[in-house]
Amino acid sequence: MAASKTVGDVLRAHGVSRRGFMKFCAATASMMALPPSMVSTVAAAIENARRPSVIWLPFQECTGCTEAITRSHTPTLEGLIFDSISLDYHHTLMAASGQRAEDAMMQAMEENYGNYLLLVDGSIPTEEFESHSCTNGHTHLSMLKDAATGAAAIVSVGTCAAYGGIPKANPNPTKARSVQDLITDKPIINVPGCPPVPTVLTGVLAHYLVFGTIPELDPYGRPMAFFGQNIHDRCYRRPFYERGQFAETFDDEGAKKGYCLYKLGCKGPITYNACATVRWNEGTSWPVQSGHGCLGCSEPDFWDKGSFYRPLSAAYWGDARTVGIGAAAGAAAGLAAAALARGKQKKAQQEEKA
Amino acid sequence: MNEGLYWEGMSLLDFARGPALRWAVIIFVIGIVWRLTALLLASRKQLEPAKGSATSGGMKTLLTRSAPAHELEKNIVFQHYSGYAWHIGMFVVLLFFAPHMLFFKDILGFGWPTLPNLFITFFTVVTMGILLVLLARRLMNPVLRQLTTWDDYISWLIAFLPFLTGIMAFTHITFGMRYETVLALHFLSVSALLIWFPFGKLMHAIFIWPSRYKVGAAFARRGVRA
Amino acid sequence: MSGLSGIGVKVESGAAAPDEIYANTLPLLHEIRHALARLVESGEPTVIDIQSIPMGPGDMNRLMDALGEGEVRAEFEALGKTVIRESRYGGVWIIEHLNGSGGVAGRFIEITWVPSLLQAQREDVEAGLEALADALAAAGN
Repeated sequence: MAASKTVGDVLRAHGVSRRGFMKFCAATASMMALPPSMVSTVAAAIENARRPSVIWLPFQECTGCTEAITRSHTPTLEGLIFDSISLDYHHTLMAASGQRAEDAMMQAMEENYGNYLLLVDGSIPTEEFESHSCTNGHTHLSMLKDAATGAAAIVSVGTCAAYGGIPKANPNPTKARSVQDLITDKPIINVPGCPPVPTVLTGVLAHYLVFGTIPELDPYGRPMAFFGQNIHDRCYRRPFYERGQFAETFDDEGAKKGYCLYKLGCKGPITYNACATVRWNEGTSWPVQSGHGCLGCSEPDFWDKGSFYRPLSAAYWGDARTVGIGAAAGAAAGLAAAALARGKQKKAQQEEKA
Repeated sequence: MNEGLYWEGMSLLDFARGPALRWAVIIFVIGIVWRLTALLLASRKQLEPAKGSATSGGMKTLLTRSAPAHELEKNIVFQHYSGYAWHIGMFVVLLFFAPHMLFFKDILGFGWPTLPNLFITFFTVVTMGILLVLLARRLMNPVLRQLTTWDDYISWLIAFLPFLTGIMAFTHITFGMRYETVLALHFLSVSALLIWFPFGKLMHAIFIWPSRYKVGAAFARRGVRA
Repeated sequence: MSGLSGIGVKVESGAAAPDEIYANTLPLLHEIRHALARLVESGEPTVIDIQSIPMGPGDMNRLMDALGEGEVRAEFEALGKTVIRESRYGGVWIIEHLNGSGGVAGRFIEITWVPSLLQAQREDVEAGLEALADALAAAGN
């Protein structure tokens, strides 16, 4: 079984020299957001790491996460990380189909019981809507529970698996739940994003590969190495924010000069992700660099937090009608109070006269 | 837009930006209008003949009370001018920090130029410093302490908290809390201010003009210098 | 008024933004200066992972321009090309790892006497020794 080989074996089988291996380790350490001084540790660990068996279950999802990951796939270092794991089931990517694919999954789950890594993308419909999302006649809820039993750990890939994402958005028509809502007895790593940054997912896999452990997580179950700082704090446009230089519209002079997008609704200050440093498409760019504010896609319920274009500091204060009713109620109370006071005054005067 | 604000798993920040602030605004408006109506309709029968023009006396007092009375100047000069400094700093921070302006722009429909963050930080620190000094003075001066009611302490705290939470959020000195939590506390402190405002001494911001006028008018009628 | 003609498109020239805007180059150069001083004084090398530092458009180019080209330039081919070159400041090396499709997989600045990747690697040397011995044996010598 492929899973018994070490990663070093796999790389040598690819004809990778020591220089190439060290290069791979340097890039991997960088990908894992480790300091360059950790490269030798990473090298020693990767050399002897066993290839983990990975089962990837797609549930109520759009395949965008898989698309994003495979875009970074061909002959890149991320690709090598993928070669270093044994991806035993991913129904979009695998060659086998139908019953043979399901058999492969069952076989991998049995052979690696207790040791495989379970990757999930998509949310899971529950209760009366459980049957609204099925594969091969099994509901996704039952598949998740079965697969989770034998998993060493679960990686929720994308915001849907991590927090329910778009399917869970108000009014949540399928009573969709996230993986962590349903599975509570396994370590779960959330790699949210819509889609997640491919390098971040491979970085998490690399961490598991190298250290065999779950990375340090934030309160939302996200790896601190990638989700430890918010976009705003790592944004190259931050100096404009400090200087009070903002784009007022998407095509004004400020937008052309690359000023801060806070006024156009950027959610960078409350969004934790690695976009600002890792960037997308082999480090080419990322949403803010291309001129659009951050949507906050790696945060729970990002879809329900009002308009993407509403400045963060603009609150939901109500509307003119509510305020008008409030003012009318206040005026009525004031009139009543004044009438009461005059009544008292009159009474006092009468008493004085009498 | 507002309908979408309630959902399961709403965070503290969502609550603070949404329902908390909305209710605070409603209570604020009811309270202000209520107290202002009651004040303006309140009157007392004028039994004695007028010895001077009430209107011109009232208008004059609006201005004369803006500077310390000559006889008292020595004793109140510190609190008078630190009061000015505090209010100016407060308005600069409130109106000219870009995110604050956006808050008002959302309500009013128009915006205005804002200041770089460096200035805002400066004014925030000055403003907080003045508030702390004035509190210390209030606590240490035996006469002032005797005059102080719970309303004063609560109003001080209610005015101080938005600055404290604001600068904590801005500088990321959060004492272990997440930034979003501090930002939520900032919104909540403003909600607390809005709720307390009409019912405590913060109402002076509104009452100062009509009450000055009324005092001036009453004194002028009697031929007394206000 | 429908279709593409209705959408305002502005073609941007590739002109770089003015220097003073994105100011990440300067602090990095200072960091490199300190690292060079450490190398000279105590022989302690430094590696900076510049790919994971937030940079604005053009920032990386400005940094590379500031560091310039030195005397040494080497390339090797392993999992895609890697370019190692000395900057105009001796001891400051720029290491660019490209992946198989030519994208940048990692970019480091090493402040050291000789970058470790330039040296032959012990494992490769051992493998080479074995291979040479085998070749000689196969040739009957």
